[in-house]
Amino acid sequence: MATVDEPTRRDIEAFVYLEARLADESRYDEWEALVTDDMHYWVPFGPGDYEPGTRVSYINDNRARLGTRIRQLATGVHHAQDPPSSMRRVVSNIEILSAEGDEFEIGSNFVLYEHAVQATGHLRLWAGRATHRLRRTPDGLRMAAKKVELVNSTSPLPNLPFII
Amino acid sequence: MALTVQSSAAEHDYRHLVQDDRIHGSLYTDPAVFADEMQRIFTDGWVFVGHQSEIPEIGDWVSRRLGTEPVLMVRNRDGAISVVANRCAHRGTTLCPQNDGNNRNFRCAYHGWTYDLDGTLLGVPGPKGFHKDTADLGLDRPGQVDDYRGFVFANRSGTAGPLSDHLGAGGTDLIDRTSDMSPSGSVRLSAGWIGQRIDSNWKMWPESDHDGYHLNFTHASMARAVPDTYYDEIVMTGEEASESATRAYDGGHLELDFRRSYTAELAWLGTTREKVADYCEALEGSYGAEKAKTIMWDGPPHALVFPNLFLAEMNIARIEPISPGVTVHHHTPLLVEGTDESVNRRLVLQSEAAMGPASFFLTDDAVIAERMHRAFEGAAAGDDGWVDLSRGIEREHIEDGQRWSDITDETTNRGFWHHYRDVMACVVGSRPNSHA
Ligand code: FES
Ligand SMILES: [Fe+2]
Repeated sequence: MATVDEPTRRDIEAFVYLEARLADESRYDEWEALVTDDMHYWVPFGPGDYEPGTRVSYINDNRARLGTRIRQLATGVHHAQDPPSSMRRVVSNIEILSAEGDEFEIGSNFVLYEHAVQATGHLRLWAGRATHRLRRTPDGLRMAAKKVELVNSTSPLPNLPFII
Repeated sequence: MALTVQSSAAEHDYRHLVQDDRIHGSLYTDPAVFADEMQRIFTDGWVFVGHQSEIPEIGDWVSRRLGTEPVLMVRNRDGAISVVANRCAHRGTTLCPQNDGNNRNFRCAYHGWTYDLDGTLLGVPGPKGFHKDTADLGLDRPGQVDDYRGFVFANRSGTAGPLSDHLGAGGTDLIDRTSDMSPSGSVRLSAGWIGQRIDSNWKMWPESDHDGYHLNFTHASMARAVPDTYYDEIVMTGEEASESATRAYDGGHLELDFRRSYTAELAWLGTTREKVADYCEALEGSYGAEKAKTIMWDGPPHALVFPNLFLAEMNIARIEPISPGVTVHHHTPLLVEGTDESVNRRLVLQSEAAMGPASFFLTDDAVIAERMHRAFEGAAAGDDGWVDLSRGIEREHIEDGQRWSDITDETTNRGFWHHYRDVMACVVGSRPNSHA
């Protein structure tokens, strides 16, 4: 656990909440503007304690593949998100796990309710832990990595085409 | 058991529900149809279980289902593979609730009955209380288990005839072409399985996975987001221009055959020889220059081995029926052996893009299947709600004993359903009344 000054802590929390809200509201362009050029977006199978690529993950996006993901969402013909799911997540237990130079590692828990309106109309529940790597840049905080460890990732999952 | 099957056979006339150019939508949603399928297809027939490379060490096991029957595929002490019920022979507790593991033996958590890796009952606490011979109380086992090039299949009833008959020339060739992608001649499924849960009937997956007609529409978002995917050159061209083909083999096996349309070697891997030089050299070393060249140009098959094994190019997928309206589509990257591991890294990345609940392709297929399932919910035989399967029926032809047609034709769907009709109406298969 790391200690940072109060203004920094407030910036970090505000960033994590903003990132969550933009994802909830499927505001893909604004969400993408939060990431760095070396962004890594990872949803592992089981605990994220393995080297990505050595076994199969749900999502293992480098910046280029994340760009493809967002472009696909923005086409308007991605049936899996046409229309986009209605979503709200509650983010809590925010902790600053490390602070080194301009980089911070942030842990948080989330519960996400998704109304899967595309076909079934089911209310789906997603829960897990997010680990953000944030970097201070001249434009403010940016996200260099996001890892999402779902509590039920070792069981079959329904469609996960949105940003989690 | 026999009585149940006969009475439901009387209720469902599969020859009427599956016609040459259409099928009835209730086949997707009717619980009685599902029950018949679990018997006639998943009990009386051969079902894919897993690959021997998943359980390399003695005591390794993976959890699977034969239809709705939970089983474990286990590496025995003598190196052979067994398939045993994942259900204690005492009062039926699930023995291993996890996806996989390694055990010296299986001990039931309820009263402590202990089984050897092959399902033999080793011991029970308080044996004096049992007046019958507990040696007879091992775990249930399918009547037949066999493998072809490491692909393990089981037939619960034990009455389906040999695996080689089930695979036939078509299924054998498809598994050969898949296995030959590995310079060692044996693929390795060691990168783990991802399961995608879909609220649709299982039969929509053999269909969707082998539908060459939907790509322009279902996957339009990928064509726009990545204009140069290799699907482009094989399918997104005009109806007449595509060199790809659909094929239906005897036994319900299907293929979308892209080989004739690849315009470069390794197009199926989205790369060039320089990037995977070790792999190409290993193929040449193992198979000789000529066969290696064929492998590098043709790539792996995109095919179904009836009913549940999807040879998904450089992935292996299992189609697992849970209930009439729920299916799990499991996949794992097909890794190769006898070469540098870097090509396997590439295969894992490719797999993550193509398959699974967060992939660029199967997410759209899943929503389409769920919409289709909803449209037939509550359908009963005799209602409206036929599914048209006539596309290309006039232009398909027989070549080398297989039915071929244009890539966008429903030859694959018809091949699946016509075999399904034979099995469900007991025209083929092992059921005692089938040869009457
Ligand atoms: S149920 Fe397994 S020992 Fe009794
Ligand atoms: Fe598809």
